[in-house]
Amino acid sequence: MNEQALSLKDLVKDFDGKRAVDNISFTVRRGDILGLLGPNGAGKTTTIRMVMNIIAPDAGHIEILGKNFSEKVKDRIGYLPEERGLYRKLKVMDTLLFMGELKGMKIAAIRERGRLLLKQFQLDGYEEKKVEELSKGMAQKLQFIITILHNPELLILDEPFSGLDPLNIELIKDIILSSKREGTTIIYSTHLMEYAEKTVDSLVMIDKGRKVLDGTLAAVKAEYGQKFVKVQYEGDARFVGALPYVKSWRDSGREMEVELADLSKREQLLRDLLEKVTVNGFQLSEPSLQNIFIRKVQEGERA
Amino acid sequence: MKKILAVIKKEYKAIVKKKSFIIMTILTPVLMGGMMFVPVLLMKVGRTEKKIAVADFAGGYYQALTAKSTTRQEPGKPGFDLEGSMRKPRESEVAGLISFSPVKLNGRDAAVVVREYEQKILKKEIDGLLLIPADVKSGRQVSYYATSISDFATNSFIASTLRTVISQQLLLEKQIDPAVVREATRDVLVDTFKVKKEGTTKSSSGMDYIMSLFMMIILFGVLIGYGQMIMRGVLEEKSSRISELLISSAKSTYLFYGKVLGIGLAGLTQVALWILLSIILVSRFSGAVDASILSFLTPEIGLYFVVFFILGFFIYAIPYAIVGAAVNTDQEAQQFSTAIVWMMLIPYFIGFSATQNPNTTLALVASLIPIFSPILMFMRITASTPPLWQIATSIILCSLTIWGLAWLGAKIFRVGMLMYGKKPSLGEILRWIRYK
Repeated sequence: MNEQALSLKDLVKDFDGKRAVDNISFTVRRGDILGLLGPNGAGKTTTIRMVMNIIAPDAGHIEILGKNFSEKVKDRIGYLPEERGLYRKLKVMDTLLFMGELKGMKIAAIRERGRLLLKQFQLDGYEEKKVEELSKGMAQKLQFIITILHNPELLILDEPFSGLDPLNIELIKDIILSSKREGTTIIYSTHLMEYAEKTVDSLVMIDKGRKVLDGTLAAVKAEYGQKFVKVQYEGDARFVGALPYVKSWRDSGREMEVELADLSKREQLLRDLLEKVTVNGFQLSEPSLQNIFIRKVQEGERA
Repeated sequence: MKKILAVIKKEYKAIVKKKSFIIMTILTPVLMGGMMFVPVLLMKVGRTEKKIAVADFAGGYYQALTAKSTTRQEPGKPGFDLEGSMRKPRESEVAGLISFSPVKLNGRDAAVVVREYEQKILKKEIDGLLLIPADVKSGRQVSYYATSISDFATNSFIASTLRTVISQQLLLEKQIDPAVVREATRDVLVDTFKVKKEGTTKSSSGMDYIMSLFMMIILFGVLIGYGQMIMRGVLEEKSSRISELLISSAKSTYLFYGKVLGIGLAGLTQVALWILLSIILVSRFSGAVDASILSFLTPEIGLYFVVFFILGFFIYAIPYAIVGAAVNTDQEAQQFSTAIVWMMLIPYFIGFSATQNPNTTLALVASLIPIFSPILMFMRITASTPPLWQIATSIILCSLTIWGLAWLGAKIFRVGMLMYGKKPSLGEILRWIRYK
């Protein structure tokens, strides 16, 4: 079996003369969770749509589950588009039956797995309700059930957390993790990097259509080293930005993330802080993905 | 292929299970039947005997009226009036339902009689007063007083009876035998025979005309109704943002053909149920299916109806589906669908003349043009028997057109389904067609 669930090579897509995706290449190992990260408009959805063969790339090559895209491979992929919706007048079970059959499932199998999933998502008892009678949160759950109904080998989720309430976000994170345990490969895009931080094995960061960074989470974090300190404090800490040994800092008012030019300066920083503000907490930390992303984009602009 | 079946099944079920489908399926034949039978039933049931007083100033006419009103005439048979034409059934329905009574004149003035009877009419002692003046023979004018004067059957019964009596009197005065005149003025009836390869059958031309119009209206109504259903269905998939999910699960051509086929089958089901229900209704209420309907509804006509229904369905449904995929709002869709309806009206108007003259060059050429032929060729078939090569040509041309439309539609559908929010220009749609 091929090691790669997905491999993109030099993908390019222009819209009306504007380059939406610019030479993006990356691979996803089978069984991994890959986060496709970047701000809104970075080209994440365009990339995913090319992977799903919804739009054709202007240049480049895509290999999915070891082959070129084909009609057959659709049945092995679970896709949650960014633009999503359901037939409002169709009943819940009929929706599952239709979408399942479109994925090549047998009716009995759809019913069995459908019931199981409805129960898991606390939607049991709603089988005969029309989709328009469901609450927004329930409809989102149903949408997600459809995505995983046919036990796909590869899950491609475009902004799966957008518009979800915190409970559903947790639920979907759980499902992503349990799918991974069953051997499913998962690719998801998000502009919310805090979520990605907790789940992904590897990541690809893109900005303005270009890849700015990729690798395993561990490698990316290691590259940026343990030069970060997180400080919880009270008082006016604006002087920190001007300290000579501080490379960058991000202040949230009561907590700041400080990047040191050299880790040995951490005691110096603590001393300087104690003079001016009340320090409630002080610890070495890994850089957040958010921080890494900002650094990377800034580096790119300078270069 | 399994996926196309799944789409057909879903679309078919979505329509057939709708309450409106069930209601329309039952209601349409009942309403149609109602329109045909209710007036007749009302005539039979709702009428009460009318009491009319006759003030006969001329003399002798009262007897003539009572003589006629007690002899019921069989519809369709020549009566004793001089025209000798078929007696209108309506008139004979009246006969026997009117009882005439004489007004004792006692030398009174007409105005006095009228005043007296006005009161009686208002008190409903009597329904009407017929005043026959002394000079009726030359003046040919009588007066009828009643609260309700819209009963044409009664009016025409009175008029035709008096005319007959006056004519007879005039003829007798001139010493001409009324029987001679009756014979001389008898109408000529035209029996119509339809000549076909399979044999000649007697059939009424009026019935043919009505039936072929009737079937054309069904065809027309169903094509518009189901075409718009397809358009709205495609638009709904677009506006509910479900199309991306669908296209990532199955080939867009499968989705497209499945939708058109599924909704088409639902339409065919409805028409089949209508025909079935109509036959049941007709045979229940009129005892037996009218022979002239049966002679019209041959298996051949039925087969052609199905063939041209299917061809017509695809020729109009695919443009509707394309409109649904290309536009974004209901308003835009409505504009385009109006254009499609106008296209359908063209053969409909040509059709009116084509049923009467099915073999003119205009009818022939128009019935071979694919967008017209489902309606027009079918009309020509019902009205006469066009040569087989013409029927075959129109079927082949239609099929080719459908094939082309389906190819085009699938392309536009594929791209249009994913275009949200932006109204595409014609140039853009042309680019979609070239898009691989």
